[in-house]
Amino acid sequence: MIDNTSSFRVKKAFGVTIMLVLLFFAALPTVWVLIMSFREQAEIFEPIWESPLAVTLDNYRGIARSDFPKALLNSFICAGSSTLLAMIVGVPAGFALAKSRLSGKFYASWLLLLLRMAPPVGFVIPLFLLYVNAGLIDTYFGLIVAYMTLTLPLIVWSMWNSFAQVPDELIEAAIMDGATLGKAFLQVALPAARPGAVAAAILGFLIVWNDFFYALIITRSSTVTAPVAVMNFISYDSVDWGSIAVASIALTLPILPLMVIANRYIVQSLSGAVKG
Amino acid sequence: MTSKPQPRATAELERGYRNMLLPAVFAVGIFAIVPLAGMLALSFSDYHLIRGTNWDFGFKNFVRLVSDKRLMGSVYAMSVLSFFGVLTQVLIGAAIAVGLSKIVGKWRLGRVLFLLPYAVPHVAVALIWLSLFTPTLSPINAFFDLFGITVPSFLTTQNGALFAIVMADTWTNFPFAMLIILAALQGISPDLDEAAALDGATRVQSFFYVTLPLLIPAFLMVTLFRFIDSLKHFPMIFVMTKGGPGRSTQATNYYAYIQTFQNSNVAYGAAIAVTLFIVAAIISFYVARLNQRITS
Repeated sequence: MIDNTSSFRVKKAFGVTIMLVLLFFAALPTVWVLIMSFREQAEIFEPIWESPLAVTLDNYRGIARSDFPKALLNSFICAGSSTLLAMIVGVPAGFALAKSRLSGKFYASWLLLLLRMAPPVGFVIPLFLLYVNAGLIDTYFGLIVAYMTLTLPLIVWSMWNSFAQVPDELIEAAIMDGATLGKAFLQVALPAARPGAVAAAILGFLIVWNDFFYALIITRSSTVTAPVAVMNFISYDSVDWGSIAVASIALTLPILPLMVIANRYIVQSLSGAVKG
Repeated sequence: MTSKPQPRATAELERGYRNMLLPAVFAVGIFAIVPLAGMLALSFSDYHLIRGTNWDFGFKNFVRLVSDKRLMGSVYAMSVLSFFGVLTQVLIGAAIAVGLSKIVGKWRLGRVLFLLPYAVPHVAVALIWLSLFTPTLSPINAFFDLFGITVPSFLTTQNGALFAIVMADTWTNFPFAMLIILAALQGISPDLDEAAALDGATRVQSFFYVTLPLLIPAFLMVTLFRFIDSLKHFPMIFVMTKGGPGRSTQATNYYAYIQTFQNSNVAYGAAIAVTLFIVAAIISFYVARLNQRITS
């Protein structure tokens, strides 16, 4: 059905133009933050074409010397630990929800969705009061536990979707052959759902890595995570844009490969409804 | 369902499943239900961060909600942010998904380029767009200055500040809409379009009468997920506008934060949070139902 009539070519050109405009919209902020990160402090407020050669690595060196790498490490520790804990608890639960004949599964799905969708301020207010009284403010333990409220519902939900796509017959056959349920889960179902499990772990990691609100309320200086630490480059009377640009890049680079790996599973994991 | 061979007592299996579920039930109970119960209790109390509490429980926080003009203002800001944010994300995401699906050979780099904004953490998104909306710094302002055009300072007016937040939100979240709509598009068999063409449908007709109806579940899902997320706006407001100018961009979630942590009015903040929670509960009920209907 390839027709080369002029009206088709006009439409095609129109479509290509729209795509290019949208690509510009998608790319401009990224290109801009890269440029800012290499600009000299003194020239940063000049238009780029007036001093295109004012290029420096000072902003990167400054970040390396600051407290920011420690904050990145904190982000890694919290995102990794709370994801790992939530996987240990959540993967078997997702399997059970997908394959058992328990009643009330609809309410379980509602609860999981609700926990993911509930405004975080509702969780944070009581957690904050509890933590102040229990001395858990600014501790790794407190932060990791708090992040379980984000990771666990997400991981159970997406593992439920992943295990639902594993044929029941596979598990039944294993059990017919005399495997225990635990064995059928570990040796049959889990390998079959491995892409989904990788995606669930990545999504759990990302949601903690991106969090700003929890860390803002329940960390102080020692366990502060990178998204909150970046605010230190904004002081009352000035903003260190060069450092902010480098910090933004440092916040994004570690998770970029994860996003590229996970993107085709994001759809499946978030909504079993729309098959990807 | 075909009749299944009964492998061992089904009851025993079900007990096994229940044991696998228990740790998660226990964990959800501790990590989620306890804080939520705390929020509910606080919302009926008179707890103040500095003054503490006189153990005076009642409905007064909820009575106050009804006549709170600042709350109404925050609902307005939240509605504007949600409506325009979700609308532009879905439209841009759909346009790019249709474009990408048309590209022959599945141009993978294009997909990654459009995905990139989704990988940037919200704080970084907010800071990058704050820089783009800072007139003395922004390359956009500098570019228009070349032609003698002065771009107004968006963050100093209510509509401008709301627009700025919608831009930042759209930039980072359109790829989510794109991914889901693209997946749905790729799930549609090309045979359908061909069949429509054989029956004499034009391309436009076949898009509107064949493709679009099949995309409706994807659109619904994206819209609902993005809408619920948009009720949680925080980092962008915190970084880009601090709720200003004045109080004009204090969306409800942010307003609950202000009441709790700046005005120390914990009980009232909790009451606002409970109200938001009820809205999320109603919407997530429909999402769960939709999900159940589509998967079964």
